[in-house]
Amino acid sequence: MDRHDDFREFVLARQQGLMRTAYLLTGDAHLAEDLLQSVLIKVARRWSKLSGDGSPEAYTRKALVNQYISWKRRPQPEVLSADLPEHGTCHDDAALQRIMLRQALAKLAPRQRAVIVLRFWEDLTEAQTAEALGCAPGTVKSQAHRALARLRALAPELAYLLNDPEIVEVAR
Amino acid sequence: MTRLREALDGIAAEAPLVDLADVAVAGHRRRRRATAVLAAVATVAVVGAASVAVTLPWQRADRTATPQRVDTVADLPDGAVGPIAYAFQTPCKTQSNPLRIDCGTVEWRVVTRSGRTYRVPQALVSTAKDYSVPVAISRDGRMLVYYSRQAQAHVVRDLVGGTQVTSPVTVKEERIGVGSMLALSDDGRYVIFDPREGSKDPGVLIDVRTGRHRPVDGKYEVVSIKGGVAELVRYVKTDLWQMPVAGGGRPVRFDGRFIMFSEIAPDGRTVAAFEFPDHTKRRLTVLDAKTGRTLRKVPMRGLPSGRDGAVTGTALWTSGREVVVVYGTKDDVRTYAVNIDTGKARQVARYPAGGKAQQLVLPGVASQ
Repeated sequence: MDRHDDFREFVLARQQGLMRTAYLLTGDAHLAEDLLQSVLIKVARRWSKLSGDGSPEAYTRKALVNQYISWKRRPQPEVLSADLPEHGTCHDDAALQRIMLRQALAKLAPRQRAVIVLRFWEDLTEAQTAEALGCAPGTVKSQAHRALARLRALAPELAYLLNDPEIVEVAR
Repeated sequence: MTRLREALDGIAAEAPLVDLADVAVAGHRRRRRATAVLAAVATVAVVGAASVAVTLPWQRADRTATPQRVDTVADLPDGAVGPIAYAFQTPCKTQSNPLRIDCGTVEWRVVTRSGRTYRVPQALVSTAKDYSVPVAISRDGRMLVYYSRQAQAHVVRDLVGGTQVTSPVTVKEERIGVGSMLALSDDGRYVIFDPREGSKDPGVLIDVRTGRHRPVDGKYEVVSIKGGVAELVRYVKTDLWQMPVAGGGRPVRFDGRFIMFSEIAPDGRTVAAFEFPDHTKRRLTVLDAKTGRTLRKVPMRGLPSGRDGAVTGTALWTSGREVVVVYGTKDDVRTYAVNIDTGKARQVARYPAGGKAQQLVLPGVASQ
């Protein structure tokens, strides 16, 4: 039996969920895959310790968020793309909403974006989000408040998404 | 479920399926090997230095310095690595006293958009006759084509899908001449190989999936392959031929002489180039590739001032109104998106050059 079998099993079970988190953080399929791959290599290195502690998933998520924030700090040269902006395509309301939300998320600071993903998509508690981001719970609260305010300012059309009582409560 | 979560769920559902278990294990093993090699080299260096210092201090002056090459850049792995931003050759090593230039260590490397660099040892750098051998990258950075000495053919790598296709069409190494050129289609299916730029020696358009191939008139040089059409230019006259990969089409003659052609713009007919021999005047000419008419001449504004750099070419269109111009200095290469109406240039990216890299290859640009 390969000593990496346990790690493989963990990746097979969790990679799709982690990939979705990475995709929400980066907004780009290729970058998300790069991000997750580089984090999983780190996880593989520490696997014997992590599997003993029983919390590889929490570690992986934390590494994913930190690596994402670290990448965003590096200078980002504009990448030439062969894809031109799309014109004249019909979208339904849900698709339009996703496009607007995606554009607004791209304008958030990396930590703010991470808070949105962890708190409102992963449904982590304030304490868990703070643990993943390596900051105090109070910072998570203030970042969430600022992130939601910025989303409202960037995309007023999406205000109704942010008016659910649970979200208003978190941002208070 | 909140409406925000529902919307985020919708975006998350667009994440592609991945299978990263083996890639992560392989990456971990590779890094461990690199660390072990580094540690071993460091140990040897320390032990060696200590022995020399303790036992033979008087012999130091006579020792010949042997440079230790500790290269931690990984080889391009077999699987997916993500799209690449550019490729380059490592420069020759220069040794002074006695002056010696060693080009034996030159190799092709690629840099992914996320910033990781890989060696591509399979890609031949120069032929037995010392002619440079090019690589080419598809417009979206997904595909890479290089010449393999072992296969005596071109190899197309899909760096996102993790697959590889070796062209069924053998090209003998001796056929690669001075200034050979290479271009690759977006889907990696079509490769144009021109054995010798500026000669009448015909090139070949290869369908790497089926092995079908057709000659390309040697009087023409390839600029790009886009949307199933190869853009070919005959210099001096100047003619531009939009040749479908299945053959056909006919050249259009421009009124004047032009060089450094861009790919065809998204409208399918506009092309940007520089008038020859006035190409140093920083004036872009916008041409109609259907009629051959000059649409306008646009002085470029916003490029670096000074004489230590020059426009060296054009590249992709970033939109229907902006085309990328490549500007090189001795230290770096920069790309600028130039508005074809106003001439205003804005810097897009910067690449290493000079002592760090040579033979920069950008996506979608035929290379030599």
